Amino acid sequence: MIELAQYLLNGISQGCVYVLLASGLTIIFGILNVPNFAQGHLYMVAAYLGFYMVMSYAMNYWLALVLATFALGILGLLVYFFVFYPIRNAPEVNLFVAAMALLMILEGGALFLFGTETKWFLIPWSRSVLSVGNLSLQVQRVIVIAGTTVVMLALWLFIKRTSLGAALEATAQHREGALLCGIKVSRISAMAFVVGTALAGIAGVLIGPAVLLEPTMGMGPLLVAFSAIIFGGLGSVAGAVLGSVILGVVESLASGYISATYNLAFVFAIMIIMLLFRPKGLFGKEVWRP
Amino acid sequence: MALLEVSGLVKTFGGLTAVGNLSFSLEQGELVSVIGPNGAGKTTLFNLLTGAYRPTAGEIIFDGNDITGCKPFQSAARGMGRTFQKTTVFRDETVLDNVIIGQSVHLKTGVWGAIVRTAGTRREEERVREKGRSILDFVGLANTEGRLAGNLTEEAQKRLSIAMVLAADPKLLLLDEPTGGVNLEEIGGLIELVKRIQQSGITVCLIEHKMRMVMSMSDRIIVLNYGTNIAEGTPAEVASNKEVIEAYLGARRVA
Amino acid sequence: MKSVFSPERIGWLLALIVAVLLPLVVGGYLTSILLLIAIWSIVAVSLNLLYGYTGQLSLGHSAFLGIGAYALGIIGVKLHIGFWPAFFAAIAISGLFGFLIGIPALKLRGPYFVLVTLGFAAIVGVIVLGWTQLTGGANGLAGVPRPTPIPLPFGKTLRFDSLLAMYYFTLFFLVLIALICHRLVRSLLGRTFVAISRDENLAEALGINTMQKKLISFTISALFSGVAGALYASYNSVISPDIAYFARGMDVLACLIVGGAGTMAGPMIGTFVMTAIPEALQIVPTLRTLINGFILLIFIIFLPTGIAGGFKALFARRRRSLSSGMGRNGIA
Repeated sequence: MIELAQYLLNGISQGCVYVLLASGLTIIFGILNVPNFAQGHLYMVAAYLGFYMVMSYAMNYWLALVLATFALGILGLLVYFFVFYPIRNAPEVNLFVAAMALLMILEGGALFLFGTETKWFLIPWSRSVLSVGNLSLQVQRVIVIAGTTVVMLALWLFIKRTSLGAALEATAQHREGALLCGIKVSRISAMAFVVGTALAGIAGVLIGPAVLLEPTMGMGPLLVAFSAIIFGGLGSVAGAVLGSVILGVVESLASGYISATYNLAFVFAIMIIMLLFRPKGLFGKEVWRP
Repeated sequence: MALLEVSGLVKTFGGLTAVGNLSFSLEQGELVSVIGPNGAGKTTLFNLLTGAYRPTAGEIIFDGNDITGCKPFQSAARGMGRTFQKTTVFRDETVLDNVIIGQSVHLKTGVWGAIVRTAGTRREEERVREKGRSILDFVGLANTEGRLAGNLTEEAQKRLSIAMVLAADPKLLLLDEPTGGVNLEEIGGLIELVKRIQQSGITVCLIEHKMRMVMSMSDRIIVLNYGTNIAEGTPAEVASNKEVIEAYLGARRVA
Repeated sequence: MKSVFSPERIGWLLALIVAVLLPLVVGGYLTSILLLIAIWSIVAVSLNLLYGYTGQLSLGHSAFLGIGAYALGIIGVKLHIGFWPAFFAAIAISGLFGFLIGIPALKLRGPYFVLVTLGFAAIVGVIVLGWTQLTGGANGLAGVPRPTPIPLPFGKTLRFDSLLAMYYFTLFFLVLIALICHRLVRSLLGRTFVAISRDENLAEALGINTMQKKLISFTISALFSGVAGALYASYNSVISPDIAYFARGMDVLACLIVGGAGTMAGPMIGTFVMTAIPEALQIVPTLRTLINGFILLIFIIFLPTGIAGGFKALFARRRRSLSSGMGRNGIA
């Protein structure tokens, strides 16, 4: 019983990573109609960035978090203007391929720069563990959960309570309609991309200290995040959040009760099953129309 | 026996009833026009007949077979051809290739035949090409077979899209606004084509807004409004129908 | 009727002659590079059938590569059947997996389909690494057999011990598979593939059973990738799990797009360029994915039809639009 609770707790903290990635993916997919395959690698880049800032330049962790997020946002802006904006009218497979090319660049770059050996992102409280009764969780993982909650709250407030956020939502729901209302769709698209990459950035620096850093660390979370948004329903941030938490828990339970090696295979299988029987997901607005 | 019998057809999208309890039939060889104000459910009706939409309720019997709920390629295989409001051709393919692709519903060549190029495969290719050419001739596109479909004029593309569907030897042809977006001089040519199609024995069902055209061509007219047929009959009967006149008040187009 | 000596045919013939004669003049190292290019070209050609000609973007072909390789390895090594039965069994198994995965996957379109294929590739990668009893896990499999010698007339035998023999063996399959794809694409069946790639809804409305046609394309594509995997396994005699690593599928896709998807020459040009040039420039393998990514990005933005596509556009203006054959001019 305690075991189950522990797995659940681990799953929630794991799910938080997916929450950040998945909401970024949802926003980018909703506005630009591009599944940003590079999202996982952006998260990886942020983790490494934070690592070098803290470990090599002795920067304060929180400062590193802010700077890395900012850097990822800038990167997102550059990627939008140099890659996705020029090809925005091309057949959409081209955009998929572009996202894939970005993935390759980031993966190759990381492999070249950082090598294949894993790195350990150490911060002052790396070894501390928070215990409540028989349950325990690394302090960093608690920070992940707290941080994710704060960020998602801020995001929600932004989307629901600001006019910029409303424009974002409007564009996601109906691009032409938004254009007709005078919304500058290309600016919104840029903003959406920046928000998406920034979220990946936050995720990377938050989870970095809790896991081992290696160049391929982004791939698993990417696929789980995609599974989460499919599970929760494309176009719905709430669905992405719910899906992420559920799949995080599923992964943790599978890891604990079935096998640690295949836990991801389990998650992917759920995505495939979901795609086949209910492509709309739990909260999905509509099945993707060609 | 009627070629097409529709009974109790219903299509709802969430809370919206696009088509509600629609029943009618089409006899072999006739030309029937479906008219009605915008949003009356005409294109939805076509989508239901071909299988692009699944009916919420009701029955569609085509040529004696119950095709309710079948997929578009199945209704096409049974002899139902359909064009779209927005002209759809394969723009990057040649005109001849377009009508060749249109015959794919009767394709016999399989993987083995394609790879090995049996005599049967080669005969089919020859046959398909010949038929393509004769169809192009029929619709008046005789000398364009090598051109890219995307380079044709709007009117020629409409003819091509009709040719593609004709190439499959349909029994029933559903034309969704065949003269939409075509200028006045060219309409006459298209009308004449539709008449020739009917004369060749194919049953035609037409969605159109141009009243004069509809009145002069149709054997019968079905009037839709809010998803049901509010009137049915010969052009004369429909023109003097009070409900029809009401439904169209302010929306009549003179063409 | 196209003349037998059209420019394309001559071009292909010359390329074939070069491919056959080149290993006889260059050393063993370069021949091994050519062999690898040939193997990856087979995968690119198979992916071209599915993506270039049927419009379905699959990121999962590394899975079929791996399945073909491991099927040959497992059946050949553990079941002790001769090479040839194991080889054909491996090919059949790849095709079977293609068929089974295709049925659910092809019901989806656009990004959904891409994601399922990526998920499938990821699962296969994980299984290959994790199922140590079957696949040897991280250590892989050793001892994959070379083709057993074939007896020839006049008391000679065709042996496959040498690099040269394996090269010609691989080349044989590349030519065979390319020819099959060429025949398929130019046939009436192939016309339906192209129709689906251009406008799937219109194809369906015209009466094409798009699910069936896509499945045919997918299965054949998977089968051919399986051939490549089996050839790789046999040549290398050792299989390691990275043959099924999903990024391989992306590398092949990059080669295909750079070369020109939707053309017959594209996959081979692309694979050659993306493999030979880094080799020639002595670029470190760790930099390859990075560079491939950049090249792919440049191409998808500025020349999405690839090298072959670019040449085609250049010559199209000089060609008169005759309706030759099935309407498409030539091979490349």
